[in-house]
Amino acid sequence: MSLIIDSVSKRFGAVLALDDVSLEIKPGEIFGFLGANGAGKTTAMRIVLDILRPDSGTVAWNGMANTEVSRGTWGYLPEERGLYAKMKVLDQLVFFAKLHGVKPKDAARETREWLERFRIPEYADRRAEQLSKGNQQKIQFIAAILHDPQVLLMDEPFTGLDPINVALLKEAFLEMKARGKTIIFSTHQMETVEEMCQSIAILDRGRVVVNGAVRDVRRSTGRQVVRLAVDGDSELAWLGTLDGVRVSRRGQDYTEAEVASGHDPEVVLRAAIERKCRVLHFEIADPSLEEIFIEHVGQIDASERTLAPKAVYA
Amino acid sequence: MNGWRSLFPNAWYVTVREFRGRTSSRSFIVGTILLAILAFAATQAPVAIDAVAGGSQTRVEVVELASNVPSDAQAVLDQALNGAPIPGSTQRGGFALTWLAGDRLSAAQKDLEAGEFGAMLVVERDAATGDLVFTLRTDMPSDGRPAQLIANAVRSLAIEDRLVRAGTSTAAVLAPTKWSVLPVSSSGGATVNNLNQEIASSLLSTGLVVLIFMAIITYGTWVAMSVAEEKGSRVMELMLNATTPLQMLTGKVMGNGAAGLAQYGSIIGAVLVGLLAQGPIHSAVVGGPDSGPSVGGLTVPLLASFMILFVLGFLLYSLLYAALGSLVSRQEDVQAATSPLMVLVMVGYFLSIAAIQSITDTWVVVLSYVPFFSPYLMLARVAGGHVQPWEFGLAVALMLAAIAVALFLAARIYSAGVLLYGQRVGLRQIFKAARVSR
Repeated sequence: MSLIIDSVSKRFGAVLALDDVSLEIKPGEIFGFLGANGAGKTTAMRIVLDILRPDSGTVAWNGMANTEVSRGTWGYLPEERGLYAKMKVLDQLVFFAKLHGVKPKDAARETREWLERFRIPEYADRRAEQLSKGNQQKIQFIAAILHDPQVLLMDEPFTGLDPINVALLKEAFLEMKARGKTIIFSTHQMETVEEMCQSIAILDRGRVVVNGAVRDVRRSTGRQVVRLAVDGDSELAWLGTLDGVRVSRRGQDYTEAEVASGHDPEVVLRAAIERKCRVLHFEIADPSLEEIFIEHVGQIDASERTLAPKAVYA
Repeated sequence: MNGWRSLFPNAWYVTVREFRGRTSSRSFIVGTILLAILAFAATQAPVAIDAVAGGSQTRVEVVELASNVPSDAQAVLDQALNGAPIPGSTQRGGFALTWLAGDRLSAAQKDLEAGEFGAMLVVERDAATGDLVFTLRTDMPSDGRPAQLIANAVRSLAIEDRLVRAGTSTAAVLAPTKWSVLPVSSSGGATVNNLNQEIASSLLSTGLVVLIFMAIITYGTWVAMSVAEEKGSRVMELMLNATTPLQMLTGKVMGNGAAGLAQYGSIIGAVLVGLLAQGPIHSAVVGGPDSGPSVGGLTVPLLASFMILFVLGFLLYSLLYAALGSLVSRQEDVQAATSPLMVLVMVGYFLSIAAIQSITDTWVVVLSYVPFFSPYLMLARVAGGHVQPWEFGLAVALMLAAIAVALFLAARIYSAGVLLYGQRVGLRQIFKAARVSR
């Protein structure tokens, strides 16, 4: 009872967009898809949706091949948002729902409920082109869920939204999770992943480099992070001289250091006390996803890989 | 194959959306209204010509003092002044004649002086020679064009009078010599068409061919545009999750086709209303009776053939338009992508214009079975009246087969093409993409 992607490969010309990708996504969880632009996230989603066919490998939902399951199983929010510009919001949402076999009446009622929840009930009779980007995205989200799909595939759902709308959309995500839906979304925003996802996969150039429950992934390095603040010494120059300790970030509130695998993070606290420092803050934590991401993929540079190989199917 | 199952109801929903979207756009509404007005106006052209000509009509009263004037004198004079009546035309000549008996001379003189007539023509008979003698009373210059025309006309009447007195008539003297043209073999079922009919039918077939030509180019481009628009606005990906390419393709072709038919219907409606209104408008504007509307050569079988070929031609071409439209990412590129089709449409059009002159030639008959050219050439042949029912049936069957092939190919190209973004697409990529996609 889960979504299983098994040894999927897909090549576009000279570019291997997906290289033997295998993933298992458990029903009812929120799954984060991470990767730089061009890593293969969108291609993977399109293959799951059976919009694209893989060169090899299979996708199955609840034991049934994705080419056989009903299209209504999937709710899709494409990375490139698309609505009919000249159509009224309510009309096109009902239209999309009808294509999935929803009765127009039910679709209209459901649409109004969601518009209410997103605080834009007055937009039902406006044309899509008259809406702001953020509001169009809410409409796009409604279009993806109106037919009550089992699995939601959301490609960069939080990109381009202001904090208020991000909060609204996160709330909607949690609501869908509460309804038992499986949610897969891709993003660059690591904090969102840490906040919402139970499991993640990091893709790099078509390969899965990290996969698992968020907690396990963060512990998998064996490294730990300490955050230390002492009274009267914001430099903490001595910190870097400790064995197995590397200063990773100096901030106003505290200094962060990584403690290598096999070393006890409490060494840092003991060293501070030995130096007669008055410790204001001491914290031991797992490395953040961002650090793990950087470790596996390199610097997150959104602009760098968007222009990557020309022949990639967008 | 996934794409082929359960075409409806989704194809129908797409059709309705396409139709509504197209027909509610401002360009469609304005275009349709303008075209309908133009079509209506065109049907009123004869009335307008009459109205203009009628304004400069010279009213002439003819007073018949002479006895034994030939019985067809009125017709002879009228034809000499206004020319032979053109069948199917409501046009009238520059002279309106009022014929009066001799005892009305003084009344006629009064009317002339009152300015009700431009001229009075008095017809008398010379007692010595027996010839007719004419007197024209008018303030028009005697060397002006109306006076000259009347002078010529009375000569015709004088000649007719002399011929009648000699025991014959102008009509008898000028009666056509009988002659016929027959094919070399007498068994060939000779159809000797009257020349007028031949001209009318070639005008008609040119008109119908132009109608089909315009429809395929205009409405085919609509289909390509609407595909490119969905790709451009990226609604395509959402649609691909909700429908199959075949459902989308079918809906687009049907929706745009229906919108096109609606536009054509309103234009044809305007023409019909215009033709029916010709009489009443004519009598209101110009006055006097009218010869009635004329649609020379337009028969029910021809109209039916036109509709069948129109629909099939549109289906065949618009499927290809949809396939080509799916290969571009922006509407601006549609023109370039569909230019090969444009060439094909143009070739068919020019072939058929050339064919109308030689409608029975072998090359015309052969090409009229080629599905891409059937809408034009078969139509031209039908209009020319040279087609057996089985010949028409064969052309339709071949077109249906071609449509089935086009549907299959277009669905493959379409499902591959709709996800191709931001690259120039050549034939190689199309085939490659069509092979790897579903």
